[in-house]
Amino acid sequence: MPFAIGPEYIAVALLGVVIGIIFGAIPGMTATMAVAVFLPLTYAYSMEMALYLLLGLYVGGISGGLVPAILISIPGTPSSVCTTFDGHPMALRGESERALKIGVTASFFGGLISLAVLALFTPILAGWAIKFSAVEKFLIILFALTVIAALSKGQMLRGIWIGLLGVLIAMMNQFSVNNAYRMVPDGLKTYMQGGFQLFPVLIGLFAMAEMFEQCETGMHAKYSKDDSAGIGENVKFRFSDFKGQVINVFRSSLIGTFMGILPGVGGSAASLIAYSQAKSWSKHPELLGTGVPEGLIASESSNNGLTGGALVPLLSLGIPGDSTTAVLIGAFMLQGVQVGPLFITNNPEVWNTILVALLICNVLMFLVMFFPVKLLAKVILIPQERLYPVVLMMCSVGAYATLNGRMFDVWCLLLFGVVGYLLKKLHFPVSCFLIGFILGRDLENYFIQAITAYNGHLTGFFVRPMGWVIWALIIIFVAYAILDNRKSKKRNRTAAMKGE
Amino acid sequence: MGDLFRIDVVYSTQHWIFPTIIISILVILGLVILVTEGMGRVKAGKGFFTKPGRFFAENYDKVKLWGCVVLMVAYFFLLDKIGFTVCSIIFVFLFNTLFAGPARMKDVRYHVVSVIISVVSVLIISILFGTVFDITLPDGVCTIWIQSLGITIF
Repeated sequence: MPFAIGPEYIAVALLGVVIGIIFGAIPGMTATMAVAVFLPLTYAYSMEMALYLLLGLYVGGISGGLVPAILISIPGTPSSVCTTFDGHPMALRGESERALKIGVTASFFGGLISLAVLALFTPILAGWAIKFSAVEKFLIILFALTVIAALSKGQMLRGIWIGLLGVLIAMMNQFSVNNAYRMVPDGLKTYMQGGFQLFPVLIGLFAMAEMFEQCETGMHAKYSKDDSAGIGENVKFRFSDFKGQVINVFRSSLIGTFMGILPGVGGSAASLIAYSQAKSWSKHPELLGTGVPEGLIASESSNNGLTGGALVPLLSLGIPGDSTTAVLIGAFMLQGVQVGPLFITNNPEVWNTILVALLICNVLMFLVMFFPVKLLAKVILIPQERLYPVVLMMCSVGAYATLNGRMFDVWCLLLFGVVGYLLKKLHFPVSCFLIGFILGRDLENYFIQAITAYNGHLTGFFVRPMGWVIWALIIIFVAYAILDNRKSKKRNRTAAMKGE
Repeated sequence: MGDLFRIDVVYSTQHWIFPTIIISILVILGLVILVTEGMGRVKAGKGFFTKPGRFFAENYDKVKLWGCVVLMVAYFFLLDKIGFTVCSIIFVFLFNTLFAGPARMKDVRYHVVSVIISVVSVLIISILFGTVFDITLPDGVCTIWIQSLGITIF
């Protein structure tokens, strides 16, 4: 089993983990942003080197979110929402060091369990996917789009609509079969042969839009020096805190991992489900939310479980599991590696390297976060007004370098920053738009291939048994979404009534 | 019946097949959303079309939001005219100043830190990407090309 490892790789992974943790720990900056901002740095790296850096950023970014969640009750990344429920009450009792260490340890276990699932599951899924024809590939992408829409709580129709708009925007280019342009203004034809580039779209939607939003609210510091100064040591952390939590760790990690495998499901959904499961299985559910390790463990092991899970559909089907892995697709494309069913067979070394790198990044994350816990608590003090200017500068470099130096891509940063900002203002789920944009071109290609193969007959989409399975999955998810949609609408209504 | 479920794939026009389908679905679905959300509002005792709510947050920071947009446009516009390094140092500093807020505008230490951040961060990125990794950065009048060393500082 050949794979790339060496001191230089570990050093790069360490760099990635540390920067990832910092990004994750600062509210408003996410793991996705960390990976995207540093993507241009990998242009000059080998594939293996790039993987170590990006996976380090990914693992660090997801884990870093627990620091502000525990200390100031603001989740650093969306996936640590539930960490605040039990983590912050513990910190208020003066047990912040214990809480941080429990969170870090739970994250570590979550990462390892999801890694095992990744290693076992991806080859199996890829083995099925190899037999896919254009019909199944089309349906799988349709399935991915349904799942995201299904999970945009209470606004399924808006989710689907904005996802399809993403698909449409992705098609503003020169069609690969007959080289004809569509929906491109005459003056932009030289720039838009390949359509909008992924990097500026992604950074615009996530980083620039976030910056505009922070500007709007005045970029005020959400915390003071006291929050990290008085890191309490009333109760020491012991590994025996995990006694009786083995099942909780496994259950939550697996929930996180399998939520990660479903395309488009964010970490917040994973940790919410794991948390509610921990609550319903708990011997004393009334204590959850008052500051017990149980809830903290559930939240943190599930959101790190996501990391391995989100890589499964990416590597076996070529479909990103979340917005961070969507950026990773960009990294693979830049290196000329095609992700999809043939990925493992064609690139066994890269595949092994991914597994080893993920393991090393998790170990590094644990070491970097567990021991210097006090130093870590200071990260939340880095002010946003110092970071955003530098982030903007780095994003411009990345956008400019996407296609070997075009200002057009830099302007797209601004364009999609405004788009992302408007979408958020109009209550459209931005991640649906992004997934639609990423998968749009494949969706079209497979559709055209499929109907060409069946001589234009749409019935071709219903004749293969393997397609039936995917259709069934799509129907199940739509049904689930409709039921869930009703439930959350009702919940919103009762909440609104209570509010009145 | 059979023809209803058939799409002719013609080489010269096939680039419009899928966009047409998507646009049709978008229009239909858009109407459905308008109607269902409108009906929901009627049920809640409001009009079918309600006046849109406040777009910006209450008391939003006009200076920072619009200043940010203006600075970004200016930055991108000048990037390939001045050259990456000089232009970025100026604009990272300006963004720092914009985000300072009135309270710290007179704080000299704040601005000194801004200068240090802008010079150091831009130089690191410029040298690391442009010179060491040989990645093309926007060049302009301030770009220096040192022929004897084969180095470009953008």
